Amino acid sequence: MSTVPGQAIFRDVPEPRRVGLSQKVWNSRFDYLYVAPALIVMLIVIGYPIYYTIELSFFNTPASLALSAKQFNGLDNYVTILTSPVFWKVTWQTVLWTVLSTCFAFMIGLGAALALHREFAGRGVLRALLLIPWVVSAVAASYVWKWLYHSDFGAISAMLTQVGLIDKPINFVDNTNTSLYALIVVNVWKEFSFAMIMLMAGLQTVPDTLLRAAQVDGASPWQRFWHVTFPHLQGVSMVTLLLLAVQNFNSFIIPWIMTGGGPAGSSDIWITHIYQLAFGRQRWGVASAYAVILFLVMMVLGYFYVRALTKGDDARAGA
Amino acid sequence: MTAMEMSAGAAKRRGAGGWRWSGRIFLLLLLGFTVMPMIWMFITSLKTGFAAMQYPPQWWPAEPTLENYWRLIDPSGNVGRDFIQYFWNSIWVSTLTTILAVVVAVPAAYAFSRFRFPGRNFLFFAVLLRNMFPAVVFLVPLFILMKALGLVNTHGSLILTYLTFGLPLAIWLLKGFYDNIPVQLEQAARIDGATRFQAFLLIVMPLSTPGIIATSIYSFIGAWNEYIYAYTFLTRHDQMTLPVGIQRFFSENATDWPGLMAATFMMSIPVVVLFLVLQRYFVRALTEGAVKH
Repeated sequence: MSTVPGQAIFRDVPEPRRVGLSQKVWNSRFDYLYVAPALIVMLIVIGYPIYYTIELSFFNTPASLALSAKQFNGLDNYVTILTSPVFWKVTWQTVLWTVLSTCFAFMIGLGAALALHREFAGRGVLRALLLIPWVVSAVAASYVWKWLYHSDFGAISAMLTQVGLIDKPINFVDNTNTSLYALIVVNVWKEFSFAMIMLMAGLQTVPDTLLRAAQVDGASPWQRFWHVTFPHLQGVSMVTLLLLAVQNFNSFIIPWIMTGGGPAGSSDIWITHIYQLAFGRQRWGVASAYAVILFLVMMVLGYFYVRALTKGDDARAGA
Repeated sequence: MTAMEMSAGAAKRRGAGGWRWSGRIFLLLLLGFTVMPMIWMFITSLKTGFAAMQYPPQWWPAEPTLENYWRLIDPSGNVGRDFIQYFWNSIWVSTLTTILAVVVAVPAAYAFSRFRFPGRNFLFFAVLLRNMFPAVVFLVPLFILMKALGLVNTHGSLILTYLTFGLPLAIWLLKGFYDNIPVQLEQAARIDGATRFQAFLLIVMPLSTPGIIATSIYSFIGAWNEYIYAYTFLTRHDQMTLPVGIQRFFSENATDWPGLMAATFMMSIPVVVLFLVLQRYFVRALTEGAVKH
């Protein structure tokens, strides 16, 4: 189909030429009926909270929820945040957490997808088992790993002792040097299978004929992967990496249940920090300003995210 | 074939075999990493409190017991009564959220897939963007809103807030399904005299049943596992859902680990079973939008 890109949008409009916006809106008035219920709900539960968060971020708020007593204080909340050393520490930990979790989950997922791509006995069962951590709630995962990491009775320490790697139990979680990494392991455990199914679906789009042609031409398995398979995976890899990054940036449950951001803030990331500010210390204004900063950072990521997700979207139109 | 070509071929085959074997070993290690925590959860849940507090641990309980499970499902005990209550609360909230999200999302997703109305791109952008924002951004204002509406400590607050993530996700997943249903089917129906709404209702809806099932499972599991809103909005025990409720087994000093493990195990069963039975739909829904066929 050879349509001029911009034209596709107006395909439902009878006169494509020189119609005003109000005319276009009127012409597609029935289209809006389909989206109206969703939009109304979203306006209440999403639009309003965003507006209110932005508003609160400019106010000095009382600790109680008697918010009529709030006082406008301009950008004070933002200044407080950006000049506090805790902010930079938490930001660095958030970056570490997001980047390491995303990379490891992606690489393990890619390895698993490649290894599972070929048909073999028990493949379906194996795939299902590998997917379970992703289905199980993060709350369950957090408690189980907390128990595995337990400083006195933990199975991981016990196993390492039995094979002779260490001689006394390690305290993985209550240690400022290891807590963040211990949590990253849990996070990777939880979400590598997400990368795995996405990439498995991506692998199915790689044309078999190309792979066979490469094989006939004498390409090694590595060359086949790098020159044939990998280029085909680029689109889905982008989406997967973005989704993982967003999800990790927004993590709350695992750090909150396992350490609460501690010890001494060593595993605090943005979300747990904001939660602590709001519901722990009742500093609603500062917490809102934090949320707005986070919002702005996410907008940048969001641009790429939406672009990756809506690619090829305009090719389909109107019944 | 010369000798050299032959040995090169053999090397290549060996190379391929090597790749395959390293793949197998990798999968085996990964399987261990994946299932070990869950097996340990189950083994621990079969122990008595005393047996769990041993070092080195009993890799298999000396006296396995189902006591922890009985305690959870025995309605005459305190623990059992609460646990059953949490369980029902979870089912109730998740089911209602799912129905609401799907009913509202179906027409919206269809419109986003098929119609090109002014503002469509902007609105779809807004829907997608919501998935990017963490619950925390919405938490403070929603908490204040719920307080003002008197919904704190009710399931209404949960169902309403669960739509903040359930609805955009459902719209996105369903749109992926509608995109893959050929427009020609509706066009044929239109030529045969159906209205646009009839074409949607009679042609597209039946074809998108797998998509609706998948989306429903997805939003059910999402609601079932949700923690942060429930943790913030609910303080009354009789209203709590499972992820928040099982906290009662946990305290820094005297955690009942076998009880906690039994509870997390029970909490995981419904979603894992749901997932295993309907795996195919589930995987498809997730990848539909991201992979263009």
